[in-house]
Amino acid sequence: MATANCWRCLGRPSTQRLLAPSSLTSFRAPSSVAAFTTSATLLAKDDNSFSMKGHIRSGKRLVLGKKKKGRGDRSKPPGPGERKAFRKRIQLSNDNALKVTGLPELEAQKLVDPAAVGQIVSLPSDLVDQLRTAEAFKPTQNWGLFRSPHMLVRKDTVDFLGDLTKRVGNKETVRTVIDGERSVGKSMLGLQTMAAGFMNKMVVINIPEAQDLVEARTDYSPIPRTMPEQFSHPSYILKLMQAIRSANEEVLSKEIVKLEHIHLPVSVSRNSSLASLANATKEPEFAWPIFNALWQELLQPGRPPIMFTLDGLSHIMRISDYRSPSFNLIHSHDLALIRLFVEALGGKTHFPNGAAIVGVTTKGNSLKVKSMDKALEQAAADQAGLPIPERDAFYAKYDERVFEALKGVKVFDVKSISKLEARSLMEYWAASGVLRMRVDERTVSEKWTLAGNGVLGELERASLYVSRL
Amino acid sequence: MSSLRTGFRCLRDIRQTGKVAATAQWQPTSKASLAYRPKQAINATRSITTTAPRLAETTTTEIIPSDLEPADQDQSAVVQVPYARAVPISPSYFSRKPIFNDAFVIVQDLARKYARLPIIPRDKVTPTAWRTKEQYRLAVGEHVKGRDYATCMKLAKRLNQIHPDLMPEEVTAGLLPFKREVNYYLNQPKIQPIDQYGRSHGVGKRKSSVARAWVVEGTGEVLVNGKPLSEAFGRVHDRESAVWGMKLTERLDKYNVWAMVSGGGTTGQAEALALAIAKALCVHEPALKNPLRRAGCITRDPRKVERKKHGHVKARKMPTWVKR
Repeated sequence: MATANCWRCLGRPSTQRLLAPSSLTSFRAPSSVAAFTTSATLLAKDDNSFSMKGHIRSGKRLVLGKKKKGRGDRSKPPGPGERKAFRKRIQLSNDNALKVTGLPELEAQKLVDPAAVGQIVSLPSDLVDQLRTAEAFKPTQNWGLFRSPHMLVRKDTVDFLGDLTKRVGNKETVRTVIDGERSVGKSMLGLQTMAAGFMNKMVVINIPEAQDLVEARTDYSPIPRTMPEQFSHPSYILKLMQAIRSANEEVLSKEIVKLEHIHLPVSVSRNSSLASLANATKEPEFAWPIFNALWQELLQPGRPPIMFTLDGLSHIMRISDYRSPSFNLIHSHDLALIRLFVEALGGKTHFPNGAAIVGVTTKGNSLKVKSMDKALEQAAADQAGLPIPERDAFYAKYDERVFEALKGVKVFDVKSISKLEARSLMEYWAASGVLRMRVDERTVSEKWTLAGNGVLGELERASLYVSRL
Repeated sequence: MSSLRTGFRCLRDIRQTGKVAATAQWQPTSKASLAYRPKQAINATRSITTTAPRLAETTTTEIIPSDLEPADQDQSAVVQVPYARAVPISPSYFSRKPIFNDAFVIVQDLARKYARLPIIPRDKVTPTAWRTKEQYRLAVGEHVKGRDYATCMKLAKRLNQIHPDLMPEEVTAGLLPFKREVNYYLNQPKIQPIDQYGRSHGVGKRKSSVARAWVVEGTGEVLVNGKPLSEAFGRVHDRESAVWGMKLTERLDKYNVWAMVSGGGTTGQAEALALAIAKALCVHEPALKNPLRRAGCITRDPRKVERKKHGHVKARKMPTWVKR
């Protein structure tokens, strides 16, 4: 049997030594501490001592069937809708970008001047506010890369807007569909159209995403005493009406109510302005009647011309996801707001003051609607004076209402930009500090080719996305 | 062999090189090649032994009766028997490298014989595809030593330098075993034409994609299967690799490309297109071939999908090991 005390120690083992904790009696602990010191002793962890709990090789034991807890991001997840709001946010300026000086400001004349083709123009701040209120800016456009909003006046802009402003000035109704390849700049041309409308004192009504109206995202309610039954989007229309009022305040506040609106749920005096009519209610259930009244007022002779634009045309050329009280799917054209647009586009509405009804197709987020494709094909052939292509005889699902809605429209095909326009755009990017390369003929030509012979969105992708966050 | 290399004169006594030296002896096609060896040998052998003689295979042609009968009649009077047994035609039959040995001897004799013929400088000689040592070994099936082969080739190349107008027939024949069957130096590349519309055509392949490209002078427009580059290739990387050769040689704004691609995936199609465009570009400007090669647009990447093997899950992957 081993004794508690050392064999070589002749003295008897002291009981105190035996009772003392092992860390104190071990050889290492006291020796490192100086006998006389004023500083506190730092207690290092004694890694030689065995701890009694756990295995000696506990770190290497195989652990099965246990999930690691407490790993990963402990921060609070974003709240409901926050992620989407972040994704859909529109940032129109960036203080990190360099300021580009010496560029002219946009004027109404610049948009129709052939000499201005290839120029980069800055948007005046009040126009930016109007466009922002009308939701003309899209989250997919890279406004957030630059110090302040600028845009390129391209040949298509001048061609389209020159024709449009001239005809609207003659009190004609322009009914056009802007079509083109993917990311070629269709929505951007829509924005430029709206800019022209605002600067030419037109009443601009914009539906930024037609998808919002048909995919059963917003509330809807039947409109009484309509045959066939129609449906309105109360909250959406209220929001739209407020946007119309604030974007077109300057025009609408000068116009005075002319008609008797006795059937309206709110009282509208005859001397009040159209702006106050648009602002007459905050109740969603009264939104449609008042919007309708506003529309009727705008159709009166002597009013400013109307510009009605809609982005995402293919979405409204199908049966919507809404259900009628008898649980049938509602055709998009039975939704009152869309019906208003479709009748205007199809030429059923008479505009005595001239109007521009512009539908913008979308290629990225769009359905294949064969009726619309065929109708646009026929319209384009009609416009070019070519033989009109026949409908496919073996396709039974052609929608007659779509053909009716697109009867006689002009199709404007947005083309890719020229190398000259690409160069001025790239020079602007380089001046803003987002494009870090020398802009010369070679680089312009290279990017132009990589962008599929000058597709504008692809040009951005090929040159800017290396620096995008 | 070393005696051959240093003291080849020992063979001179046996062979009458002055008359028929240049003919190959191992595979004689005519009787002339046997000139240094008495014909009676065969007869003598037959007269003495009853067993079939061990002849070299090629001598069997000599034992045709019709061939032998007149010889018997002629020389029956004078029976000369220099050898008691069948002796191979080549004196180097019993060495380890008879074929090379003989060819070497011929080259040596020719070199000595025609040493005084005028030669032309080495760079003026028509390029000749010589067999390398390994190729010669493969062709004759003998393990020729490098040192001997190098000595032989030195003489052969000296012979090849003889002025072409004075080049003797036998030298040409003697050098033949050391030349490759095809002189690839004389290959002429097939010149691709530029057609009447100014288009040049190139074909490129990569993985399982095939691309055909027509290149014409223009402004940098590219159409792939009737679509612009951005529609044909979703990735910007693929678009860049498709026009990589034109980009590096700064020809992107000088030519238009009309291409058709099929098979494989996007990466393969883009890289096949790079090859096709580069080849078509070379037709317009042959001087671009080297820059394009450096850009990696000339060489076809031979890698393909490796086939699956039996017993494997994929080409190389083995099934999971299970204990039972």
